[in-house]
Amino acid sequence: MSALLRAELLKLRTTRTFVALVAAALLLSLLVVVLTAVLGDNFTERGVKSLFTADFTGLFILLLGVMGMAGEWRHRTITGTVLAAPDRLRLLAAKVLAYAAAGALLSLIVTVTIMLVGTIILSVRDQTTVGLLDLEDVLWRNLVVAALLGALGVGIGGLIRNQVVAIVGILVLQFVEPTLFALVPDVGRFAPTSTAPSGIIQLVIGDDDPGDLLTPGIAVVVMLGWIGLFFAAAGVRLRRFDLV
Amino acid sequence: MAPVEIRNLSKRFGHVEAVKNLSFDIEAGRVTGFLGPNGAGKSTTLRALLGLVRPTAGTATFNGLRYEELERPSTRVGAVLEDAAFHPGRTARNHLRVMAVTGEHPLERVDAVLAEVGLTEAANRRVKGYSMGMRQRLAIASALLGDPEVLILDEPTNGLDPPGIAWMRELLREQAERERAVLVSSHLLAEVAQSVDDVVVIAQGELRGQGTLEQVLGGDTEPATEVRSQDNDRLARALQEHGHGVQGNGDVLLVLGATPDQVGAVAEKERVHLTGLAPQSRSLEQAFFALTGGETVTSAETATSAETATDGEKA
Repeated sequence: MSALLRAELLKLRTTRTFVALVAAALLLSLLVVVLTAVLGDNFTERGVKSLFTADFTGLFILLLGVMGMAGEWRHRTITGTVLAAPDRLRLLAAKVLAYAAAGALLSLIVTVTIMLVGTIILSVRDQTTVGLLDLEDVLWRNLVVAALLGALGVGIGGLIRNQVVAIVGILVLQFVEPTLFALVPDVGRFAPTSTAPSGIIQLVIGDDDPGDLLTPGIAVVVMLGWIGLFFAAAGVRLRRFDLV
Repeated sequence: MAPVEIRNLSKRFGHVEAVKNLSFDIEAGRVTGFLGPNGAGKSTTLRALLGLVRPTAGTATFNGLRYEELERPSTRVGAVLEDAAFHPGRTARNHLRVMAVTGEHPLERVDAVLAEVGLTEAANRRVKGYSMGMRQRLAIASALLGDPEVLILDEPTNGLDPPGIAWMRELLREQAERERAVLVSSHLLAEVAQSVDDVVVIAQGELRGQGTLEQVLGGDTEPATEVRSQDNDRLARALQEHGHGVQGNGDVLLVLGATPDQVGAVAEKERVHLTGLAPQSRSLEQAFFALTGGETVTSAETATSAETATDGEKA
């Protein structure tokens, strides 16, 4: 398994996709944080923490996971990959772990950068800032969400296989899930790509407004359930599929 | 126990029976040609052997073990399939590094196989800029990475230029001399005749012949020559005027009753530039024709189309 995991991480490092997605996530997140920190006023501690959770890592790592798995079919490299690693379930598991690690790394880079830049801007403007412990709290929640979404992306890509359909589906879910949550919160809060992850993030903004989101612990369990579901479905499909 | 054993292998895709009760062995130290017309079931058989498709019945094993059961399979079996594909944005060196890490091979092997297939200079270029022949060489480099005991090559000369084809022949012989078992499928009989010790012939998914080349396809020795040129129409007319029979009208001509020297002389007289010239036993062609029930593989049209077409069973 460790060889497969190292190979998957090497695959990630040897194309431009990962670097491009890190750059895109960083630039977009920085843009939001810089504009908010520069133009906003009367920041509260809760507002500052909320600002640092407003990064775009989750969406990008989800897309990266989808591309990492569905791309094997798009580029027709799945045959060579399975020849090198004939145990298809272990292959899928290695990809899940690799993209979880990549998600955590991506989130680490983005979150630390926006925290640094945001805190500097807020300090210069004599606005409220938050302490190291609070920043650490935000950081690990972001890392957990990114790791889970990376793993989920691989499962979705393994099940759907058509990269374009999978990516469009995820982008559509980004709009559908919040709407579902607003209309039927008891159902919507379990949705996998944005509202369940929001449950992991939400308590960072204070215990005074938990809303209808899942609590962080339950949200992690729900996310693991979604990952397990997609992994099982993708695994069954991968094992049964004739590579002709 | 033979390095490769296929026993009563069958594979059905829906209503299509692609492979029917196929059995044969591949021996170490020999190159075995796996012959059959397009759609005969060659690729399906090779993919079943490599664990890529699940047989409906029967077994395909390496020293008694299925491919999926092999520990570090790339040290035991190297394979080049007809549609070898690579991530277009990855360099050849990085592709091989990924394969080396997956197979737990020392990274020094990457430069060794790059040199072996003649890609050292192009190793740091992205694969999307590679020609078909370069991709084929990269696929072969991947297969050689683990220095495997068994080499399986599906139409390995596709995309290779004449020097590349000659290099491939040398590679096959060299691997056999090192006691490797080599199984090579091809639709070009001339190439097979010059490279292989044994042949396995299939058609419509069934075994039609198995043994040494002479045992299966041997016969009379009336000469024949396979030729490629820059003006096949003109060359064909000239050869016919010299009394030779000519088959095919694509990029490959089969000239009956003529040696390569005779064909070369006609081409020189007509000032037609040749791009390929290979002797072929006419009887080989006829024997193959008889074995496969009238479906020949050496005509120019199949030689051309097979470079891009996939076997019928994949549709």
